Amino acid sequence: MTQVMETPDQFDIHGASLSRRGFIGAGGVLLVMLGLPAGRALAQSNSLDAAKPASWIEIHADSTVTMRTGKCDFGQSSIYTAYRQIVAEELGMSVEAITTVIAGDTDRTPDGGGTFGLLRNASVNMRKAAAYTREAVLELAAQRFGVPRSALTITKGVISGGGKSATYGELISGQTLRLTIPVEGSLTDFRGLVVTGNPPMKSPKDYTEVGKPIPNPIIAPKVSGKTQWVGDVKLPGMLHARVIHPATLGSTLVTPGRLDAAQFPGAKLVQVGNLLAVVSPDEWQAVMAAQAVAAETKWSDWAALPTSEKLAEHLRTKVDWSIVPPTKGATKGDTQTPAAKRHSGAYFMPFLKHAPIGPSVSLADVRPDGSVMVHTHTQNAQFLRAAIARMLSTGEDKVVIRTYPGPGHFGRSNGGNAGSEDEAVLLSRALGVPVRVQWMRHDDMGWSTQSSAMVADLAIGLGPDGRMLTYQATHSGPPMQDDRPIGALLAGLPTISAPTPDNPSPIHTAKMGIADRWIYGAVPHVSEVGRGTYQIGERESPLKVGLRDHSMRTPIQFQQNFPREVAISEAAMLAGKDALQFRIDHTEDPRVRAVLERLREESGWDNRASPAAKAKGAKVLRGRGVSMMLRDNGYWACAAFIAVTFATGEVKVERMVLVADPGIVVNPLQLKRQAQAGCLMGISEALHEEVSFDTGAVTSLDWSTYPILTAAQMPDLKVVIAPYAGADVYGQGSESANALAAPAMAGAFLDATGRPARRIPLRPDYVKAMLA
Amino acid sequence: MPKLTVNGENREVKASPDTPLLYVLRGELDVMTPKFGCGLAQCGACSVLVDGEEVRACITPISALEGKEVTTVDGLPARWSKQKGLAPNPDRLHPVQQAWVDEQVPQCGICQFGMMIKVTELLEHNPKPSDADIKAALTTSGPSPHLCRCASYAAILDGAHRAAKLMAGEA
Repeated sequence: MTQVMETPDQFDIHGASLSRRGFIGAGGVLLVMLGLPAGRALAQSNSLDAAKPASWIEIHADSTVTMRTGKCDFGQSSIYTAYRQIVAEELGMSVEAITTVIAGDTDRTPDGGGTFGLLRNASVNMRKAAAYTREAVLELAAQRFGVPRSALTITKGVISGGGKSATYGELISGQTLRLTIPVEGSLTDFRGLVVTGNPPMKSPKDYTEVGKPIPNPIIAPKVSGKTQWVGDVKLPGMLHARVIHPATLGSTLVTPGRLDAAQFPGAKLVQVGNLLAVVSPDEWQAVMAAQAVAAETKWSDWAALPTSEKLAEHLRTKVDWSIVPPTKGATKGDTQTPAAKRHSGAYFMPFLKHAPIGPSVSLADVRPDGSVMVHTHTQNAQFLRAAIARMLSTGEDKVVIRTYPGPGHFGRSNGGNAGSEDEAVLLSRALGVPVRVQWMRHDDMGWSTQSSAMVADLAIGLGPDGRMLTYQATHSGPPMQDDRPIGALLAGLPTISAPTPDNPSPIHTAKMGIADRWIYGAVPHVSEVGRGTYQIGERESPLKVGLRDHSMRTPIQFQQNFPREVAISEAAMLAGKDALQFRIDHTEDPRVRAVLERLREESGWDNRASPAAKAKGAKVLRGRGVSMMLRDNGYWACAAFIAVTFATGEVKVERMVLVADPGIVVNPLQLKRQAQAGCLMGISEALHEEVSFDTGAVTSLDWSTYPILTAAQMPDLKVVIAPYAGADVYGQGSESANALAAPAMAGAFLDATGRPARRIPLRPDYVKAMLA
Repeated sequence: MPKLTVNGENREVKASPDTPLLYVLRGELDVMTPKFGCGLAQCGACSVLVDGEEVRACITPISALEGKEVTTVDGLPARWSKQKGLAPNPDRLHPVQQAWVDEQVPQCGICQFGMMIKVTELLEHNPKPSDADIKAALTTSGPSPHLCRCASYAAILDGAHRAAKLMAGEA
């Protein structure tokens, strides 16, 4: 054991505090601790004990670094690639020095907040923590070398000055050093802790690590079968559970079906309110027994949903949009100004499903002392901890969330979580043993949240010169942030509130904000309004369930960018102008212009008005369309080239070109892969995806009723990364790529056929109606 | 007791003969690379090779596998060593796995176990496939298309071509 001498030296580092807790015989470490307000750390001592090495960054005597982030990975690799590059950059080390990344686990990472906006705001904590650390090590070097800090330089982890040099490891070896950095916020708040203060940051022009195409280090263990996925976790003595979810989104339990003990020995039926499940030590037996019990279980009737066929009509005619106060987006001039020509259209975006390839699975162990361990693939571990504690009416200090790789679900598909965690906790508490809940495909499709549907009414007035004079848009839809876990709702246990007009939490309001940034600054008269409502069927459901919604890739902006971009293509056609040039003509932002001009060049765009000329009697019509998005300071443009078979209504995407100016490119290799996949997923949504539901339940329950893109439907795809030279913020990856496919394809449909496509998916039955 | 040959090993299992292979591999034999995706043979996440042909483990009862050779992604390196007469090397991946690393194919990766099995099956029959051959293998050759929610299909195509080169000793 090493004796730590309590003779701290203390130094101020730009508002952080570096203390030397003592000298030790061997080893040595620099821990970056959190300056939590007094009492906060103690209150959550088992989840985050400040006396344990739960720091953001930990530098060891061998100059290796352990990095801990509360963020998880969903396949885009940012925490294993971009985050390491950003931290190494600020430390002045090479990226290879960061040998360990610990993600997500609430007892092993200090960082709260969800896994979203990874390079937008979420990277700032790690970056600042690294900057404070570098400054602290410079202080140590200045003392050792006897030179001022300003005389020091760092290259590849070596600090030099005054004719001397030392590595990070050499400067900290033999000591236990603690750097306490200022933070604010709360660990289990939606946004978690935020590192405050302004340590000096490295200038992007001096970057050496950011910008490298480093590979994702977790791919090799994944493809070689070494990675433990959440579904692979086995706990001693655990039971396998299958939940028997209600017949509809508003049905309560009348009588559970009988479990035949002779047929399924070892299986048990468990009921907690309306939460019904079968457990067994044998997983296949649990599946078969749950199927048998489900067939005989009686649920109350419920029918309060409008059906997916009548959803657009319901949103247009049955919803009272005056209950929730409207939100304004871009607003200028007077959109009632008389125009020479006018385009107006009603647009519709259906409910979409996150639809991960692997349905939700998680494990929970509720122990006799009331402590809870959850094993999951969540997007927001700290927030899930708060939700589980609230459900059990226990302290957050009783709950630990461990995170694992799992299937990508591109948003929070069951409230704030992956799904099934709360059910596993309730079943484990009822049975006194660890429980693994694996949702079947139909559970995930039927009981996860969806991405909200939206309707939009757009009107564009053209001046006598054919330019846009007025632009008026009203976007209306249910909110997309229901963080209530489904098991807690079924069991009738406490949750946070559903989104409501008066919800005090700003992210849980029923208001509809305008997410789509206005980029056509040359239009003189603009009005954008968002109108919100309650979730469909939620208030009518005795379970308070109905169609729960939660964010999915490019949330809200996906639903608002589509109508805007399609309407602008329609306005260009009305004006007799080329759709791409028409966009350039209405922007005042040089980055919008640059991206569109690059797209024209890269895609071989033919400059002409729509529709495309068609040969007499042509059975297949071809056209090209364009779309543009500004998101997270990244500028993205997309061109789609499609073929429409008139007789069958089949749409085939033949070619896609994507141009991105995302700002600073942290990792071009990973960004390319993210953008390619994001764009193809966007084609999937635009060609195939719509959640179908009847008056009570979701009826898209498997891959035949919710089809997605196949390999054969992949077009020729070109991704061009073209960052603006003066960029000073990091570029996000795949969200815009994902959202731009649909409006570009609808623009191409307009060009090919002369008919507007004001909804997705562009599947044969809808396409035939559009062509009729 | 049913007997299975999995990744070159003879295993006796306790499960009843009508149990789908997926539950036996994962539950009893701790072979975890085949993943549960749909249980309906609609996605391909659970695919394994049975005597070199891709089958869906989620719907295949173990009674159908007596005397047959089951290979999962865990067993691909040994399969390659045996095919090429190479000395065992725990660090060597099957060329398809290596190509998946080289080309940075996976996004989340849950479907890739099935994708790698399908591409291995393809390359063992067709060592130099075209884009169209690969797309057809992944879409129409089995009971359903192999689905990827992340839509990593462009990377999968790159991976398959790279694997073909590695297998031919051209890379």
